Amino acid sequence: MSSVTDTALDRLGRRFGYDERSAAVLLLPVFIVLLAVAVFPIVYSFYTSLFDINLTRPWRRPFIGFDNYLRVFADPNFWIAVQRTTVYTVVTVAVTTVLAVVVALLLNEAFPGRRLLAALVLLPWATPSIVNGLMWKWIYNPGYGLLNGLLVQLGLIDRYKVWLGDPDITIYMIANAAVWKQMPLAAILILVTMKAIPEDLYKAAKVDGANVFQRFWHVTLPALKPGLMLVLVYETMISIRHFDLFLIMTQGGPGDASYTLSWQIYVETFRNLKFGIGAALSYILALATFGLSYLFIRGLGSRL
Amino acid sequence: MTVSSTLSRRALIGTALSAGAASLIGASTQSRAQAAGTVNFTAWSAAVDQVKSHIGAFENATKLKVNYENFPWAQYRTSVVTRLVGNAPMDVMWISDAWLPEFAEAQWLAAIDDVPELMKYNAEAATYCTQSMTYKGKQYGLSYYGDHMSFVCNTDIMQRAGIEKPPATWDEVVQASLKIKQAGIVEYPMLLALAIDTWLIEFVSAMVFSHGGRFVDPQGAPIMAEPGRGAIEAATWIRDAIHTHKILSPGAIETPDINALRAFGAGQHAFYIVPTYRLRALNDPSQATAAGKIRPVLMPRGPKATTSATCGWIRFYGMTPGAKANAARRANAVKFIEFFGGKDTTGAYRFQKLLLTDLGLPFCTMPLAADADVKAFWDKWAGGGDVIAQQASSAVKKDVIAPWFGEWNEMANAAWQSIFLNKATPEAATRAMAQKWNELRKG
Repeated sequence: MSSVTDTALDRLGRRFGYDERSAAVLLLPVFIVLLAVAVFPIVYSFYTSLFDINLTRPWRRPFIGFDNYLRVFADPNFWIAVQRTTVYTVVTVAVTTVLAVVVALLLNEAFPGRRLLAALVLLPWATPSIVNGLMWKWIYNPGYGLLNGLLVQLGLIDRYKVWLGDPDITIYMIANAAVWKQMPLAAILILVTMKAIPEDLYKAAKVDGANVFQRFWHVTLPALKPGLMLVLVYETMISIRHFDLFLIMTQGGPGDASYTLSWQIYVETFRNLKFGIGAALSYILALATFGLSYLFIRGLGSRL
Repeated sequence: MTVSSTLSRRALIGTALSAGAASLIGASTQSRAQAAGTVNFTAWSAAVDQVKSHIGAFENATKLKVNYENFPWAQYRTSVVTRLVGNAPMDVMWISDAWLPEFAEAQWLAAIDDVPELMKYNAEAATYCTQSMTYKGKQYGLSYYGDHMSFVCNTDIMQRAGIEKPPATWDEVVQASLKIKQAGIVEYPMLLALAIDTWLIEFVSAMVFSHGGRFVDPQGAPIMAEPGRGAIEAATWIRDAIHTHKILSPGAIETPDINALRAFGAGQHAFYIVPTYRLRALNDPSQATAAGKIRPVLMPRGPKATTSATCGWIRFYGMTPGAKANAARRANAVKFIEFFGGKDTTGAYRFQKLLLTDLGLPFCTMPLAADADVKAFWDKWAGGGDVIAQQASSAVKKDVIAPWFGEWNEMANAAWQSIFLNKATPEAATRAMAQKWNELRKG
């Protein structure tokens, strides 16, 4: 037994040099920590999704295979949540990306106060999510909200509106709050890509008689692809899983107007205490996120 | 230097090992001490100062130590459930009547029928309170407080509108509100907090019960979708108040209880349904500009109602089966529950009285109603205690309390809101609620 171990160690020693073995030993603690705090929870949550776990019935947790997934797909609430999540994600990502490009174009120009403006633009990004939610809830307040006050004073509406109590617009009002916070980082990411575009390309385009829009369309936009892809992937991942604003601003309401997938996961897991269903929903959301990210990367035909 | 450093390292390792061993021994001793002389009490973050002060009195009187921990109300149920599932040390906890069936079925609560030291208090408790702590014939605790939804009026606004007596029916509420609105006193005389939060079911239940209705029959079958049974009528009244009469703001849909309280205290509305314990804050000049003008009246009745019924609820002290199974822990837990939910060592209902006089929390203990301080309290903050006592006598326990209440309520909250938003008819929404109830009932 001992000789077998020695031989194995010898083989290991011959295969990896001192440096590699030292590196392995030094990295081992990090590897163990990652295993414990990242890999194990991911694997265990999948394992959980295969059981009918309801904390209020602690004496039973039968293995049900993929039944939780089938139950989720058969639940009409899931499809409502998919619809709301899709609308929210598309609106948030599209508006954030377009605004980010516009702001990046502005910040790419040289003008007095540009650095100050760049710093100010970043402020919303630095605002904690909870603060952002509370702030916008106040702004939208139907009794004393800033938005109502402003629109009435401008003569655009004649009486205060219940922005978060109208199921037809609630999701857009929440998306607006999300865009306000997420746009600055997107703008900076695109600005960094923009700065890397060689000036020669613009000069050549000018020589060829391209106007400002043509230069943007044929020079800037293609060169922004890596930055845009990063923004699209990142913003999609953030938006599709967004939770904070829904918790603070609407709690899934009014009615089911803001009942998104992340809200459904919260309700099933922490209110209904159905951990099996909650884990299954989380896996579905994670797979959807990965799938969309993959499509963006394939669709834009570029590598990060 | 090397020798010294080596010795230091050895000394350090030795000290660390000794400290570790000592702490293990200490922990073990502490664990034994916990079983012998400690009560682990879990509560939500309410009445914290009063609880701490009474814990001090309990510790002095009994020489027992109390480990008190509290969690915010919004996370309380989840926190307690996870702690119970994880076998965390818990002896006594605050429980809402809404969770009783769920907790009893999961065997997280111990019945106290065989604990005469606690059961003796039933003789002096309101029957409704005792019933609210009873599930399948067994009683599971002693009350922390018992309350009901009150209908309150702003007498100043009523006077200015020339309304001499408070409305006695929901039709009269509409007429009085329209009069106030037409007089230009306030735009929305009626106020209800209809946001999705933990109080929505109580507000809606008060309306349903005052219409002479119920959600389920005595066998537990849903009747909420049947016309003439109260739920459809109550929901229709609220919907019409918002969309037809415009006496209730559409903003009610996103107004939680606490915001509604502030708005009513600011004198912006004439009529409001509110937990009775909020009366103190509403009539406190340091908290409300309309203080002194807010008075409770009997809940208005629906066309088919014979009494002014309202929704009542209680919160109570429950004992864990773990505590009950161990003789020492059981004895300590019983002492604690009695000291807080019954009489203290001086033979007085001291904590229940303190909760009322300090915070306005009503009690379940009948003899306290005759207490001079209690009478003075209601005189000062509610213009007398007669209406409150009369309303309490017609309080009805939420009949939707069942092991599946939490899950049903999640769905029902959204359904109620769809009615109030005029996105679903009361008939269709209550039908969906009844269907969900049946699904959950079948398991």
